[in-house]
Amino acid sequence: MRVPLIYLAVGAILYFALPDSYLYTLGFAMMFACLSASWDLVVGYTGQVNLGHTTFVGLGAYVASVLVTGRIGFSTDVATSIAFSILISALIGVAFGAIALRLRGYYFALVTAILPLVFMQTVFVWSDVFGGEEGFSIGLEKGIPPELRYPFALLLSFAILTLLLIVVESRVGMRFMAIRDNEELAESLGINTTQYKIASFTISSSIAGFVGASTVFYRLTVAPDLYGIDLMLLIILASVIGGLGTVYGPFFFGIIIYLLKVLVIREILQTISLSLSDDIFLYAILILTAIAMPEGVAVKLRSILHRSS
Amino acid sequence: MISVLIFGAVIGGIWALVASGFSLIFGVMRILNFGHGAIFVASAYMAIFVSKICYPLSLPSALLVGVLFGLMFYTITKPVRENEVAVIIVTLATALLIQQILLSIFGDRGLTMQPLLRGVVNLFGVRFTVMRIFSIVIALTVLIALEVMMRTRFGKKIEAVSEDFESAMLVGINVERVYIFVMVLSSILASLAGYFYVQIFSVNPELSLRALIYAFAIVILGGLGSVRGSILASFIIGYIVALTITLLGSRWSEFVMLLTIILTLIVKPSGIFGVEE
Amino acid sequence: MLRCLVALLMVVGCVGAEEIVVGVIGPMDLPEGKAELRAVQLAAEEINEKGGILGYKVKVIYGDTKLNPSVASSELRRLVDEGARVLIGGFSSGVMLAMMETMAEEKVVFLADCSSPRASAKVSENYEKYKYWFRISQNNGTTFAYDLADMISFLRGKGYDVKRVYIIRDEHIWTEDVMKALKPLLDDMGVEVVKDVPIPRGYSEFEQLIIEAEDMNADVIMPILAITGTDDILVKQWATLKPKILLAGHSLAAIDSGFYNRTEGSANYMVFIADGGALVTAPPTERCREFIESYKSKYGHYPESHQAYGAYDALYIYKLAVERANESGESDPFDPDTVVRYLEMFNESNPVELTRVIAFTSNHDLAWGDRYVRNWISQWQDGKQYIIHPKNVANGDLKLPDWFKKEEVKTPGFEIAVALVALIALALRRR
Repeated sequence: MRVPLIYLAVGAILYFALPDSYLYTLGFAMMFACLSASWDLVVGYTGQVNLGHTTFVGLGAYVASVLVTGRIGFSTDVATSIAFSILISALIGVAFGAIALRLRGYYFALVTAILPLVFMQTVFVWSDVFGGEEGFSIGLEKGIPPELRYPFALLLSFAILTLLLIVVESRVGMRFMAIRDNEELAESLGINTTQYKIASFTISSSIAGFVGASTVFYRLTVAPDLYGIDLMLLIILASVIGGLGTVYGPFFFGIIIYLLKVLVIREILQTISLSLSDDIFLYAILILTAIAMPEGVAVKLRSILHRSS
Repeated sequence: MISVLIFGAVIGGIWALVASGFSLIFGVMRILNFGHGAIFVASAYMAIFVSKICYPLSLPSALLVGVLFGLMFYTITKPVRENEVAVIIVTLATALLIQQILLSIFGDRGLTMQPLLRGVVNLFGVRFTVMRIFSIVIALTVLIALEVMMRTRFGKKIEAVSEDFESAMLVGINVERVYIFVMVLSSILASLAGYFYVQIFSVNPELSLRALIYAFAIVILGGLGSVRGSILASFIIGYIVALTITLLGSRWSEFVMLLTIILTLIVKPSGIFGVEE
Repeated sequence: MLRCLVALLMVVGCVGAEEIVVGVIGPMDLPEGKAELRAVQLAAEEINEKGGILGYKVKVIYGDTKLNPSVASSELRRLVDEGARVLIGGFSSGVMLAMMETMAEEKVVFLADCSSPRASAKVSENYEKYKYWFRISQNNGTTFAYDLADMISFLRGKGYDVKRVYIIRDEHIWTEDVMKALKPLLDDMGVEVVKDVPIPRGYSEFEQLIIEAEDMNADVIMPILAITGTDDILVKQWATLKPKILLAGHSLAAIDSGFYNRTEGSANYMVFIADGGALVTAPPTERCREFIESYKSKYGHYPESHQAYGAYDALYIYKLAVERANESGESDPFDPDTVVRYLEMFNESNPVELTRVIAFTSNHDLAWGDRYVRNWISQWQDGKQYIIHPKNVANGDLKLPDWFKKEEVKTPGFEIAVALVALIALALRRR
């Protein structure tokens, strides 16, 4: 539990050390890290390949922004709208988990892959409410004041990191891992595996919904990209490189990967004036990592260090 | 009504080619190839490119793309076959990589090619392009040929591998060779679908994910690993799309399709013909 | 690790002092964004050769919106952080509306490409907040309705009677604004809209729609498309089905000079309105002709989209405004509030002739009309684009598709139906 505190302290120092424009991006990276760390709970700890994490990011974001702008006839304040996002994400998480977690392995992966697409379609079908392809803006006035954005992201990510660590180190967390390692064995030991899988899925989804809602107040706009496959892939990338089943790995590599994508890779491309999409590099890295060291860079490095010492 | 019948069949026929291959790979190799849609699109682009130089070569070159991509996906998934997450990542990232490369070569705007057959036929008072009818015929022929092949000795070998690859290995079947064959065959089916798709419609790089989504929807509906189920499901999906366009309007088409999938899942999680893993 | 990161961030943030930074923002994978960037780079090169703006060299940086409002907003913020004093570009109304919020927060002059009337409405609603925004590429979307209605009356004047119109349009706010203005205009002319079909991005089933239009006895299928991206499929299926219905409307893809080749000639006879007031085949000003030629010699091809003209004009009009501010003795001629005041001086009584004749209205729209910028009514004829209306710029005349005259040839459908039934029967027996 020392690590989150160190994280908080370093984050606070950076607040005074960095210019505002980079704080904005860094804050984004911190919120993104929450997504990859919470994804890890289902995939790394409970062993269920969930490709639909962005469903809940988008859901949280849309629920919050529709409520706060009053697009469906009534409006709520910011806190209530975030609370509703978490609640609705949790409810959909339970309901969907109960249906889909009966399936295993690839079946579950496929079904969860479809889920964000269904929700994304709702945005187009009811475009007068959800703003269609290009979403809508909640307006400068409803958002977090610019000077508070970074502190907000820091505290949010600190809280979520701590929460996740508490969960995985608890007895519940042990049972998640027991299911991942051997589901039959876990069941024979009297663990109700389905219930625990649903619990893990729901916690993870609620966090995604919470982060999704917060993102809207951070960046002021909501759009279907929050359901998107690009975001999902970035989550996978960060978690896989960071090492599944470690929380720390996905979390800190979430920050690093995000900053790499947003700041560094594009800068390199612009300097060598190559008109390539920055995504090409990410995909290439992803393929190589997954083939060469599917257990993740962080874990691999640790084991190499172990061997040499 | 007749128009819905034909339009649904065309959509269904093309997606059946894509989905049956997707499903076959899973059935035999137990992996999901998220790059299946990329093969579909890349072949279509190849056909367009070659058709400008020499039209008759466009079909063979499209199929060649299928063969090469099949081999490529076989190679890159081989080292990680046992690891579900890694397989998904590798194939999905490769698909997106291919999509980005196509984007930088051909641009975002759709491209199309002259259809193989021109003209319009009048069926029961509704006009259709000959190409649509022809593609239904070809799709059905290929799917029947696939059925027939599965009954030959080689087909039996494939079935044996898909049921239990360890025992298959023990009785002397070269499992890796069967895997390569299945991968290439499935990719060729996707290529063929891409070729016919671009005859009627046009392609852009984004289509690769769209094709993948259709394949997902179809195999979930038809049952993962069941080729017959996915063929049936393709036509069901085709008719759902055509009917929704006619009755509700175009914006609903994909939503209704995906909703059907979710509802199917609630009732029968393993799909119409699916077997629990 | 973190220290490395911080150092890296610092390096990235450095900006030279002897230059004026111009940010181009657009969808860089699309022709619209590419054309904008290339046109601005060309203008910057020309300006730098002649000594820059008030002695400052122009440096061009760019951001990619990926056609996504959130990416666009954060890219805009990044460009400003990297020192951009003026932004050029945009494309797509929804993206623009989101970017306008960030623009207002950052207070940076934005010479924009977008057609939604909502953008300029914001300028009149809250002038102080949104005054940094100017429309430069094309007219306010509501003027598309005038152009489309004008197109219908032009067709009627040419003896092609139009009573019933079948509309296929983007499912998007910009077409809703056009429809709102277009409906009453068509009503006044006694033209009935038999069906209004909004289609989502990537939609491909046009054959069903064309057949429906035929069943409804429509005289014109009117596309109002910019972002669907499947205009080519519409054209292809129209040219294959050969209905006796004219395809005439707004299609962004059709304005592109490569459209005919990409559709393998299916675009022949399609009537469209040319956004942005310039076509490669008919440049409205001498400046425009020169620009098209230097674009061609620098990049090896003509501008890939009309956004090039607007982006090119944008940098020049910014230069003019800054220079006039300087001449009038402003302490900081680059100050955004000052630049806004000097840009506003280019109004309808004081237009400036660049590649097009540019004048801003009071809510920062482009002035519309034959004297300023409007969408010329044009047609694809045998691989070339011709402006066919209005007379003062027209270089061609309306041609009806050749299949309008011929009698329909009967094709043997029965045999194919029999073959199909036989095949299905065979398939069922195999089961």
